[in-house]
Amino acid sequence: MIHYFTSHFATLRLEFWPLLVGGLASGFIYSMVAIGYTLVYGVLRLINFAHSEIFMSGGFASLFLLRAVVGNSQPSGFESVLLVGLGVLAGAVAGGLVAVLVERVAYRPLRRRRAPALAYLISAIGASYFLFNLAGKEFGRNYYTLPILFINRPVFSIFGASVQLYYLVVAGAGAAMLVLLDRVVAKSRLGRGIRAVAQDAETASLMGVNIDRTIVLTFLIGGALGGAAAFLYGIQSGVIYTMGFTPALKAFTAAVLGGIGNIRGAVLGGLLLGVVESLSVAFVSGAYIDVVAFSVLVAVLLFRPTGILGERLGRAA
Amino acid sequence: MPRWLKHKALGRFFSLALAMAVVELVTGPPGSNETPTAGFSGSFGEKVSFFGLFPVPRIVQFLAFTVIIYFLISLWRSYGDRLRDGVRSLTERPRAVANKGSVRWGVAAALVVIGALLPRFVTDPFWQTAMVEQIAVYVLLALGLNVVVGFAGLLDLGFVAFYAVGAYATAWVTGALPLPPLFGVHLNPFFAIPIAIFLAMLAGVLLGTPTLRLRGDYLAIVTLGFGEIIFLFVDNLNGITGGSAGSGQVPHFSVDVGPLKYVWGLAPVPYYYLTLAFVILFVVAFSLLEHSRVGRSWTAIREDEVAAESLGINPLKYKVMAFSIGAASAGFAGVVTAAQTNFVNPSVFTIYFSINILVLVIFGGMGSIAGAVVGAVVIQTVSMYLIHTPPAGYQPQDLYIYLGALLIIMMIFRPSGLVPSKRRQREIGLAESGQGHMDEVLTGDVP
Amino acid sequence: MIDELIFNVENITLRFGGVVSLNNVSLEMRRGEILAVIGPNGAGKTSLFNSLTGVYQPQEGRITLSAKSGRSVSVIGMKAHRVSSLGVARTFQASRIFGALTTFENVKIGAESHRGIGIAGAMVRGPRTRHGERESDELAVDLLDFVGLRSKANLLASSLSYGDRRRLEIARALATRPQVLLLDEPAAGTNPSEKLELTELIRKVRDERGVSILLIEHDMKLVMALAERLYVLNFGSVIAEGTPEEIRANEAVIEAYLGAASTAGDS
Repeated sequence: MIHYFTSHFATLRLEFWPLLVGGLASGFIYSMVAIGYTLVYGVLRLINFAHSEIFMSGGFASLFLLRAVVGNSQPSGFESVLLVGLGVLAGAVAGGLVAVLVERVAYRPLRRRRAPALAYLISAIGASYFLFNLAGKEFGRNYYTLPILFINRPVFSIFGASVQLYYLVVAGAGAAMLVLLDRVVAKSRLGRGIRAVAQDAETASLMGVNIDRTIVLTFLIGGALGGAAAFLYGIQSGVIYTMGFTPALKAFTAAVLGGIGNIRGAVLGGLLLGVVESLSVAFVSGAYIDVVAFSVLVAVLLFRPTGILGERLGRAA
Repeated sequence: MPRWLKHKALGRFFSLALAMAVVELVTGPPGSNETPTAGFSGSFGEKVSFFGLFPVPRIVQFLAFTVIIYFLISLWRSYGDRLRDGVRSLTERPRAVANKGSVRWGVAAALVVIGALLPRFVTDPFWQTAMVEQIAVYVLLALGLNVVVGFAGLLDLGFVAFYAVGAYATAWVTGALPLPPLFGVHLNPFFAIPIAIFLAMLAGVLLGTPTLRLRGDYLAIVTLGFGEIIFLFVDNLNGITGGSAGSGQVPHFSVDVGPLKYVWGLAPVPYYYLTLAFVILFVVAFSLLEHSRVGRSWTAIREDEVAAESLGINPLKYKVMAFSIGAASAGFAGVVTAAQTNFVNPSVFTIYFSINILVLVIFGGMGSIAGAVVGAVVIQTVSMYLIHTPPAGYQPQDLYIYLGALLIIMMIFRPSGLVPSKRRQREIGLAESGQGHMDEVLTGDVP
Repeated sequence: MIDELIFNVENITLRFGGVVSLNNVSLEMRRGEILAVIGPNGAGKTSLFNSLTGVYQPQEGRITLSAKSGRSVSVIGMKAHRVSSLGVARTFQASRIFGALTTFENVKIGAESHRGIGIAGAMVRGPRTRHGERESDELAVDLLDFVGLRSKANLLASSLSYGDRRRLEIARALATRPQVLLLDEPAAGTNPSEKLELTELIRKVRDERGVSILLIEHDMKLVMALAERLYVLNFGSVIAEGTPEEIRANEAVIEAYLGAASTAGDS
């Protein structure tokens, strides 16, 4: 037993920095997806079970667009930067669009009827099931790889860990979008509307906030972030119709970890989960990596369902 | 947005056209890895026969359908109420008669007789097998999940775990797993029945006790997470479960008493009768339970947990009870599946399976035992029919697209299901009129 | 015996985040009395109720309940259903009946909730289960008679009028065979004649059923007519305690509560 831990800690000491860097990169992806959960939860007090498929649609959109644009060429330099931007954009547009559709079809009719919460969960599960199986039918049920947009190579190293270009791309694009979102929610009229509805929908509506529009916009923003994240995820892991399930479950874990409804909490939770998951490689074999993330999920829900920063979309951000 | 687009009738037409385009996609040919756009272009461009007259591209056919359906909807909007009232006045008396206890028992008895005679009329081996593996087993699973989702109002997305416990328990006690059975005795699957049911119920208690404190949506996620953890372990613990290959050595049921020796083979009929007997057993047990104080307490907790607790009802205890009771029928279903197919394998026990069972319960009617049976029989029969004689372009996996759509459609148009439970229907009505405390997740902000 | 305490609340403090809802509150409730807690909106009355019934857990102080068995137990940290089984029943401010069940079933749920449960018993319905069921039925009918809802026993609870729902809640609470009944604004939303009947009913609960009563109420007329002793809460603290006459004469109360109430209007 002691030997087990000492030897694993030795691995951890050797590999700490590389694992940390990798963990932070996937953490950015989880954060972006987690925000979709947190925003919708903030205004509707519900988990959007279809968010995994909003993510998936972003992956496919960027895949098809980039395939058409890149063709057989080998982009480099400024082209690569443009193409990454294009991928992010394609993912964001598709994710936002599908999210709005989901709201229209699976949520709004139920809101009109003031259906009980269970009904929303079930119809969102239905939407998720419908979407990924439809994608499986239309796009085939195999893995696709995105065209090569840049040659992944070590860019620089810290503490002996070489930082790959891919990680920089993910962290850069992710951080830019997260900061943008934070500014939007904190400063713009739209952001004020979202926060007002999150705090007290009734009062917000009396004060002239259009609730329907606010809800659609939260789906749109959350979906766009999720879709863009799917592109970043797809660069390394490829695209397949079931690609949404595991990252979305992890992102949900991140959202709860940071305190659901809390935007900065979602970012923090995502980064934390990415790092924990990555470092756990030193202790458990690859087949059980997902078990670590799901165990964190179960543990957080059971022992600290309000998360680290607490639930407060209205006051945070 | 231009003003003419905001016109209501036009808006309706566009929504309908959009919906029809989706229908067109869903029913169209599939795409593939090489040609991912083939599905789209084929869905709209493929030639089909126009009402048996002449070939046209699918898009023309669907536009025609859109116009026809739009016309029908307009008709319904102007005359629908009158039609509905007419139908209601016609069905009022049959309905009142059907609600009588004696009539209900009569119908139930007739169904049992039909069920018992069914193998005499259905002789096609495909359908005989389907009756056991795809219908009767699913009825059992729907009955169990109905206790959890319908009676206790708990959205469990890891229900398949109990089915897996039943199947793996059978494989274990019959000596089919790498893990040696207790005392090294290889039992006949008949003895696996009580053991599997017990272990499934125990799993219900163990899984339920920590998780059932959580409120609705968190419970759904945590059951999903637990389900995945269990799946990953079963899939990887080669020395215990046989890993992803599972085991193909589960023996059939056999009778071996003195001179009487009879091994059930692959022939499905004996399994059918065994399962039917247990279906009847579970239906009777669950409906007694529904109308006992346990059932009333479930209703109370579902409607208003705070008020129920103030009356001395321990919500956790009753929720765990629902989990455990629901697990019982799933555990038995696991025994039948393992013993009939000789086979246990983790690839069956995925989250998707749980959702399939959920569809059966939702479609039939949450909280309605008759609904669970009807939902399972109808959906499974249709899906089997689609496998038996697939329409052009239909792949077996397409079923899940339809099931997903069905969940949304049911929640929008008929949330209480095909054969609604009266209590449930009332509750949904109350929630929608702003009474009751069922929708506290949405509005409640109790510190 | 008459002075025996049912509830002894000593210096409880309840906080939500940074908000102090109850501040160092002490209260004694004697067996057999009708006690009222009054105070303006947001004074912490319902928080006090929720602390007494195990819904909220105060961070400081002690709440001792003398159980039906005569034993003294500490309420803090106890779950609501456990508190209920020790003989504490309650109603809610916004009535929380089970609308999809009938009036009779509502009361029956209260009557049978404390009996031990057996799944097998519930399904097989042996003689013990049937006997218990008959007892619960009789109690439920008796209580519906008592509150005057017998003729509406088979109606859906959601179809009852507001006043009838109040009665139903009282019957349902009494069905748990409590020693003390906590009523959270029982007269809210009722008309004057219903109010009068309710006053009668509450007194009857104490006199005929021997159940002590703790009451939160806004309506001063009702409180003064019913209560034998009052506590006045303001901003989470007890500012006065005494008989209705004493409270009426209390300067602090007039200032803090009656003044506020007269401007806010009686509900």
